Amino acid sequence: MSWAYVFELIQNIMITQTGIPNLAIKEVFMIGVAFFFLYLAVAKKYEPLLLVPIGFGIFLVNFPLVPLMGFSEHGNPELIRAFYKYGIEWEIIPCVIFLGLGAMTDFGPLIANPKTLIIGAGAQLGVFITYIGVLFFGFTLKEAASVGIIGGADGPTTIYLTAKLAPHLLGANALAAYSYMAMVPLIQPPIMRLMTTPAQRLIKMRQLRPVSDREKLLFPLIAAILIILLIPAVAPLMGMFMFGNFMRECGVVKRLSDTAQNALMNIVTIFLGLSVGATMQADKFLSWKPLLIFSFGLMDFVVCTFGGILTVHIMNLFLKEKINPLIGSAGVSAVPMSARVSHSEGLKADPDNWLIMHAMGPNLAGVIGSASAAGMFIAMFQ
Amino acid sequence: MNATAFQVFRRFSCKWLPALTLATALTAATAAWAAFGEVIEKPAPEFNRQGDSITATLIPRAKSTRVQIQFSAAGARLLDVEGMDFEKAERPEVDVKNFKSALFVIHLGDLTPGAEAKVSLTSDFFISSTQFYVFNETLPQPWVISDAANLSLPERVQELVVTVKDGGPLDSDGKADGRITLVGGPRDSFWGYALGTLFIRFFGIFIVLCLLMLGMIISGFVFQWLARRKAAGVDKTTAAGAPRIEEENVLPAAGNRMDPAAAAAVAAALHLHLAGSQTSPILDLSGSPQGSWALHGRAQMMAERMLVFNRKNR
Repeated sequence: MSWAYVFELIQNIMITQTGIPNLAIKEVFMIGVAFFFLYLAVAKKYEPLLLVPIGFGIFLVNFPLVPLMGFSEHGNPELIRAFYKYGIEWEIIPCVIFLGLGAMTDFGPLIANPKTLIIGAGAQLGVFITYIGVLFFGFTLKEAASVGIIGGADGPTTIYLTAKLAPHLLGANALAAYSYMAMVPLIQPPIMRLMTTPAQRLIKMRQLRPVSDREKLLFPLIAAILIILLIPAVAPLMGMFMFGNFMRECGVVKRLSDTAQNALMNIVTIFLGLSVGATMQADKFLSWKPLLIFSFGLMDFVVCTFGGILTVHIMNLFLKEKINPLIGSAGVSAVPMSARVSHSEGLKADPDNWLIMHAMGPNLAGVIGSASAAGMFIAMFQ
Repeated sequence: MNATAFQVFRRFSCKWLPALTLATALTAATAAWAAFGEVIEKPAPEFNRQGDSITATLIPRAKSTRVQIQFSAAGARLLDVEGMDFEKAERPEVDVKNFKSALFVIHLGDLTPGAEAKVSLTSDFFISSTQFYVFNETLPQPWVISDAANLSLPERVQELVVTVKDGGPLDSDGKADGRITLVGGPRDSFWGYALGTLFIRFFGIFIVLCLLMLGMIISGFVFQWLARRKAAGVDKTTAAGAPRIEEENVLPAAGNRMDPAAAAAVAAALHLHLAGSQTSPILDLSGSPQGSWALHGRAQMMAERMLVFNRKNR
């Protein structure tokens, strides 16, 4: 064995079996992006439960030669690819998250004031405006729909729809949706102030009526019947959502409800975050696409907020008891952040005006509205 | 002169350069993007012959499920059908987005030279406004709208019937040789579909949520009525066992009930009064009703109520 042979052997090992010579600038950049998201999550506490696994997913998959998102020689998916394949490609994780969300949701404010459902529908305006807007930029119909749904501000719905229609946009769409959800307190207040007069912000709403347990129990059944009959395509999401809520309200499966709200939700959140983060590999992610998606996502969010407030203004033309238009912005389904923003803006106008429970109505309606919009899009492409 | 030119340039650069840069960037991005999306959605038809007809199975653009298009011919024998890349027929006057189900090359044979034949394309994917566009490279205007008849069949199936003359303008081989090559595809308006579906689906959400609202209002009325009835039943039972109360001592009727806010205030006052008489004074209400402790207390209460909505994982 000569020294030349040994050197060649070392060289081959270095090149083919270690990552260092294969590390490209774009991968280093993506690792920097991962650090940025981890910083936002840890230091700034922006959606940490999602951004930590997403950030770490980005971090892991951008090292060269890592067996995480590919397939083995036998065609089996590697670790994170398996999470992605069975969790997202098979559309399981978003539906399980909806199960957990249903188990966490108290529909009381919505049942007490069903009129707020209209606000949830109006706040989907941005979804459709963006859908048309991005078509002008050369997106295909499916891509446009998956970008449009970002404005609905519902992470699992965005992931579900994108995985179904445009899986290549999953990373950018999910990140845009969760980022804007985290930025609700920054994005919405200026629009709310622009769209309302000081007098309108002072409108006090009558206290919501108490809702009986029986009403709460029947709500998921009634809602599931109506929505699934009208939009069968939304059955996986809405069915799981209402099932989770029924478990919560029936009171006889407390253990299942607790599991859905906590353990199950936490488990799928880990796999969801890692899988979404892992889709952001440098060679796929570094392009104009994410930038365009982030720009349109922001516009989408703004228009959705605008749509919700506008809907309240229109409703007030016909209602005897006026609705405070500040709760219109809660029509996006960022629960409960946007309801809190409505409440805090209301308090700024009148420290004695407590809007939180009134804002929860459109907020919950927004969840149903964005899921319905997703169902509409899925049906459109069937 | 130079100074004027500089001023013009400065004005131009200040006002328009950023916009132009952005527009260029977006256009470049759009071009790159369009190619990206289209490649992913490119239909790849698979053909299957069954007797005299050939069936193409494909996932069209803007669809997630497979559709079938059945080809048959009258007045000639259908020899073969194959798919064709749109790039070969791309011209400024046509947009690939309008051709959702790809382009086809249809070969007919066994007909009298110069005779006419009818080609039928049948699918439930077509709608009544679907047209059939023909591409013939030998013509000065290669893209032609054929006068295809669009017939409605049962079960929402549409049939496009294209009449082609051997050696005529729709025949790509250009010769009256007893063989016809028809290149073309079904065309639907992309923007018409996109805009139409936008309105339908946006108002669809309103309809869905309005129906849900009506359902909830009705069920709310029913539940409130049941609750009132139950309460009235309890009142009656209580009243039956209770001594008769003089008319002047009866509480106001349900319609004249006190305002809930006022009732809450009275209840709070009574509570404070009674609590105050039992222990040392615990509350000082002489100050502003919006004192910091009051606001803090309310914030605490609301925060506790908000716990149920605190979706930590969203």
